Order: sequence, then C-alpha cells, then structure tokens
Amino acid sequence: LKVVHYLNQFFAGVGGEEAADSSPSRLEGPVGPGRGLGLDVAVTLVCGDNFFGKHEDETLIQLLSWLDQERPDVLVCGPSFGSGRYGYACGTFGREAVRRGIPAVCGMDPENPGVLASEGAPYIVRTEVTVAGMRDALPKMAGLARRLGAGERIGSPEEEGYLPRNLRRNEIASEPGAVRAIEMILAKLAGRVTTEIESQPDRVSPPPPVPDLARVKLALVTEAGCVPHGNPDRLPSTRARAWLRYPLAGLSGLSAESFESVHGGFDVTAANADPNRLVPLDVVRQFEEEGRIGALHDFFYTTTGNGTPVATAAKFGREIGEELIAAEVGAVLISGT
Amino acid sequence: MLECAAFAFRDVVAGRTTSWTRGVLELNLATLAETAGREPGLIEVRAHVVRPGEPVRLINVLDVVEPAVKIGSPGTTFPGALGSLTVAGTGVTHRLDEAAVIATANLRQFPNPGGPDAVQDSVVDMAGPGANYCRWSSTTNIVLDFDCDPTVSVADIDRSIRRATLRVARDLAATTVDIAPDLVDSFAPAAVDHNLPAICVILQLESQGTTSDTFLYGASVDGMLPTFLDGREVLDGAVTSGAYHWASMRNPTYFYQRNRLIRSLLDADGSRLRFVGVIVTRAYFMSAFEKSRSAFLAAKLARQIGADGAILTTIAGGNSHTDTMLTCRACEKVGVRTTSILAEMGGLTDWVAEADALVSVGNTEELVAEWRPEIVLGGEALRNRSAFDAGPIPVRNYLGATSQMGDMRLKAVEG
Repeated sequence: LKVVHYLNQFFAGVGGEEAADSSPSRLEGPVGPGRGLGLDVAVTLVCGDNFFGKHEDETLIQLLSWLDQERPDVLVCGPSFGSGRYGYACGTFGREAVRRGIPAVCGMDPENPGVLASEGAPYIVRTEVTVAGMRDALPKMAGLARRLGAGERIGSPEEEGYLPRNLRRNEIASEPGAVRAIEMILAKLAGRVTTEIESQPDRVSPPPPVPDLARVKLALVTEAGCVPHGNPDRLPSTRARAWLRYPLAGLSGLSAESFESVHGGFDVTAANADPNRLVPLDVVRQFEEEGRIGALHDFFYTTTGNGTPVATAAKFGREIGEELIAAEVGAVLISGT
Repeated sequence: MLECAAFAFRDVVAGRTTSWTRGVLELNLATLAETAGREPGLIEVRAHVVRPGEPVRLINVLDVVEPAVKIGSPGTTFPGALGSLTVAGTGVTHRLDEAAVIATANLRQFPNPGGPDAVQDSVVDMAGPGANYCRWSSTTNIVLDFDCDPTVSVADIDRSIRRATLRVARDLAATTVDIAPDLVDSFAPAAVDHNLPAICVILQLESQGTTSDTFLYGASVDGMLPTFLDGREVLDGAVTSGAYHWASMRNPTYFYQRNRLIRSLLDADGSRLRFVGVIVTRAYFMSAFEKSRSAFLAAKLARQIGADGAILTTIAGGNSHTDTMLTCRACEKVGVRTTSILAEMGGLTDWVAEADALVSVGNTEELVAEWRPEIVLGGEALRNRSAFDAGPIPVRNYLGATSQMGDMRLKAVEG
C-alpha cells in the first residue's frame, strides 16, 4: 500500500509560525506524525499554512502534480486537530485528490473549517481539538487509510468514526425496495415508524407584507433558467448546482434577442418569445417609473429549478439572500415555473 | 385467478425456424427482424442476441419486455397495446423466464415536443461494474435495434417501435403454447381476513407526451383520473411503457410484468396482510391544482377500498416527486398510512412532514466506475461522448437501476 502524507510546516519540522510562509516541498519517506501511522509513507508533502491560504491555486497545482507522479493508493492529511489554516489546507488538498481518483483521509476536530472545505470528498476522522489527541488519531486514520487504499467497503460514519460527509452512498441491500416497503408499512401500521431517508424539512413561513413598496428596493429572482442568449456561463438545463447574477442597469425589458431560458423542465418556446415572462422586467420598470416601487436592484439572480434537491435550493436561497441584504434590498419578486 | 407459467430459459440459438425445445429457443433472426420491421416508419431492424457476461454495452435503450403470451387467446396478449381488448389478469399466461426483448433506437435525432432533454441516455451493461445496476445483465436478451425514417414524426415512430417490440415478445413466448411449463405461479384470490391490515399500492405512471408516456390498455394515461386495478392486471400486460427519460428512475414494461411489489403483496395476501388492489395515478400534471386534485382523488379511492396502508410508487423524478409527496399527504390526511418508494437525486426535490416512512432505492447521482465495452449496440454515442469511452456513467443513466416500484436492491445510505 503506497501512501503519500501531507503535513504543515510545524509538524514537518520546518518551523513554527515564522515558517508559515514556506512554499511547498517534497520529502522522501515519513516525517514526524507520519512515522506513527505505521503505513508505508513513500513521500511527505509539506506546505506552510499561510502560504497555502495566500497561494491556494498554485500550491494545489504543485501538490497535485507531485501526487500525479507518485500515484499513491491513498493520501493521508494531518491530523490537523483544531488548527483552522492547517485544517483548511488538509480538507482542500484531500478534496482535490479524491476528485482525481485518489482516496484521502484527514483527521480534525468537527469545528475545523477544513471540514467545510473538504465538501465531503475525503473521509475525516474525528480528533481532539489539540495535539494531545495525536496518539488516538493516528491509528484511526491509518486504519481507515489502509482499508480505503485496499478498495475495501467503508461502513457508515457511526460504525467507522469519521465525520458525516452529507453524502448518500449506494449499497446493495439484502432485499429489493418493494419488499422493504411492505415491511415498512406493516411496521408503521403496528406503530413502529421507520424510514430510510431522514426528513428534509424546509418549511418557509410567509414573511410579513412589505409595509410600503414605494420606499423599498426590489430585486428579481427566478428559477426559470433565464440567461443571456447563448448561455455564456453554461447554466445546466437541470440539476443546477449554482446560481448566477446578471446586470439589469440600463435595460427596460428582456428582449428575445438578448435572453433565453435553458430550463429543461418545461416547453420554453413561449417564454423565449418574450423573456419578460420569465423575469418581468418590463412591468417592474414601469412600476419604477410610476413610483410604485422605490427602486429596482441592478442585478437579477437566476438558476434552473428542476431536479434541485431541497437542501441545494435552500443553500441558493441563503446565498442570494445574503447578497440582497448587503445591497439593502427590501423586497424580492421570485418568478417560478 | 391468474396463472403465470414460466419456461426456464437456457439458451438461444440461431436457426431456420423460431421454436422452443427444452429450454432452448431456436431463433430465425432474419424472420424476427422482418416481423419487427413491419410497422410504419421503421427502415431496418437488426436483431441481436446478448448474453450475461458478454463485453457488451446497450445504449439508447427504450423499452424492455418479457416474452409473454396468453394461452387460448394469443391475440389478446398486451390488450389494447398490441392485442384486442380484454381484461388482463385472468387465465393462463406463458412467459420465458430470464429472457427479455430489448428495443434500442436513437430517438434523439427526431424533433421532440418535450424538448431536447426528453429522451435521456439509457444504458444496459452486460459486464463490468455497471452490470450490477442492471436487471438485464443477468437475462438473455433479444435486442431489436431500430433504424427509423427521419421524416416520420417521433410519435409515429415510437408507436411502431412499441408495437414491434411487444409483437416479438409475444411471438417468442408463443413458441411454448403446446408445451408443459417448468413452473407455474398461481395468483388466486385469498380468503378475506378482516383482521389483517389492508394494503393497497398507489402506482404512479408517467405521462407528459410522446416519449414520456405510459399506456393503460393501450391508451396514454394523460388526463387519467386515479383508477382502480387488480394487481394481476398489471402483471399481465395491462400497463406498457413509452417513457424514455431518466433511465434509472423509469419503469420499462418488464418491471410492470414482473412487478416485485405486486407479486410480494399477492404472495402475502391472506397471511400477513390483505392486498386490496392497485390504484394507478398519473404523474406530471402541470398545475398545482391538477396535482392536488389527482392526489386527493387517489387518497379518496384508497379510503373507499378500505385500505389501512398504501405503498406509493414513483416514476421519474423532480416534478413527479411532488406528486408523490402530495399523494402521501392526502392519504395520511384521510387516515390511510403510507410508505413511499423514492430515488434520491442527490437529495429529495420535495418533502412533506407526513412523509415519515420512505424507502430509498439509491442515489441517482453516484458515478459507476469506468469500463470499456468491446461491443456497443443501439448506436455509437452517448449524449456527450462515445459509448466506447471508459469514463464513469452516473447511476441515473442505467436503465431501471433505481426503480421506484422497488424492483431492485440498490439503496442510498449515509457515508
């Protein structure tokens, strides 16, 4: 089993905070905590925590090219405990390695920002906040790395002691879904409610009415897949995983020559003949002129709303909402399809 | 009472005639192709035999049908869709076990009123990692690869392909009409025991126009109100498929014929539960009003037939998941408890608080490890690349992999 190990400047013995700006380096064999893993660490990659944060793109290119040369069975990062900058580097590097087909194991405290940066790609073993947790963390990380590298099946977060990755992994159940459904309904009728998919609540309470529309800035938001003609930013027709923002300043309406819908969930023929029916800029401009709304926000926000999981849609809402609040928008008109 | 008589399928050999001898189907592929090509708009049909373990990838897969024929009245097989109208679900039906007729055609070359995304990639791998996700990697398949007249409408082509496929399935099974079967499944009505919990199925069928449609006794379920069926009707050819988008989440005709949910309920009827029937509903109504109305009427019907519990199935995803959730809510509201079978598209696109008992049939977004087939049938290209490319394919492109009638064993778990 060939292992590559990632450490920051401190654990690699380069130096403390004064060496946090050191650039990436490649060392043969295990170094520091790598010796305690009990694995065959071929190469140790090192980078200063500040350097990684300040030069993330170029650092990743360098680290990934070393990884490409080695083609290890598994990458181990850290453990980084509660250290935010180190954890961020571990989570980010681990994520990119996994996306290139190399399994990765990190170790950190659940509150470490590296957990978020990892986006659920690598496995992250739960550790203490401080380096006092080293003795406990290393064998757990090594065990998981050994099995991952060997291509073995990894159990649930509870069974294995890694942090939930918010991923839904497929496995083959012992019975087909039909048989499980019959058992589930009979159990439910007998008073035992079970489920294989946890609740995904996203109940939105209607907000109070806007007190005086003539005094607020209004923003236009849509899930209708409305984009500039030609879809320059390649918004997907379904399963969008991001939203986009386009300027409205100087426009009195959306012309069929300039805008279109790429939504894959409805027949867009009529909408494309008049994109104002996707994002009602024409009417809203008129309202603005008549003083019925205070002002129109200079951008509209768009995504494709079909095939979007509730959790993803809620994330879009939070992100767009933050921008709108920062821009002092007081009301939003959302056009759905 | 329905008797499904199974003939154990051992092999298929090319020959001069089409006949059945002790588990071996002799097949005249040329005659078969000629029979299949008789419908209008079909230029050429190539017939292939594909066996488990062969390094073959099928692409542009439309429907899959189990060879089946009605004994005594072969002209009523698949009533309405192929044969003359009669009530399905009674009498004797012969079927070839572990054999399937698979139709492939590139319908994306036709303008589609449902837009360019209406027909999606649909793959069956006979070997490699994808085979684990395919029901038909373990059956012997007679593949009908259709070349279609590009000047004919997609609606006419689709009707021709559906009829041709059902006809071949019927004719193959018809080789057994005078032969004693290897095994007979009898689906007789059980004695009614009112102490047992009454369970119904609310079977969701897709309809949103040509290439996204399902047929009940040969007619599209577009506009259909929730309708009551005996489970045996579904097993016996009353429901046929013409729905070709998200491959893993749709139900080919084979899954209605072999329906694991209905079969299991019929098996348990009278012992563990009382199976009170199937309510078929249409998914993909376009307005909130129509969706709510259909959900409300399905729940009303479930209550009327005395169901204590309903198992809700789903077809395709997104839009139809809202139909499932509304039906779940409507049932629970009238006191019919529910379990729903759902595929996860990286998560659920809709959810109601009443949906507290859900069966997961897998995450459609997971990538299946790469594999390079030696032979590709049904075309050359997936939507975005060559079908010979070894790159990974998402689960959602494997036909039937996450059947939301629960025919497969895939399941998504945390991790």
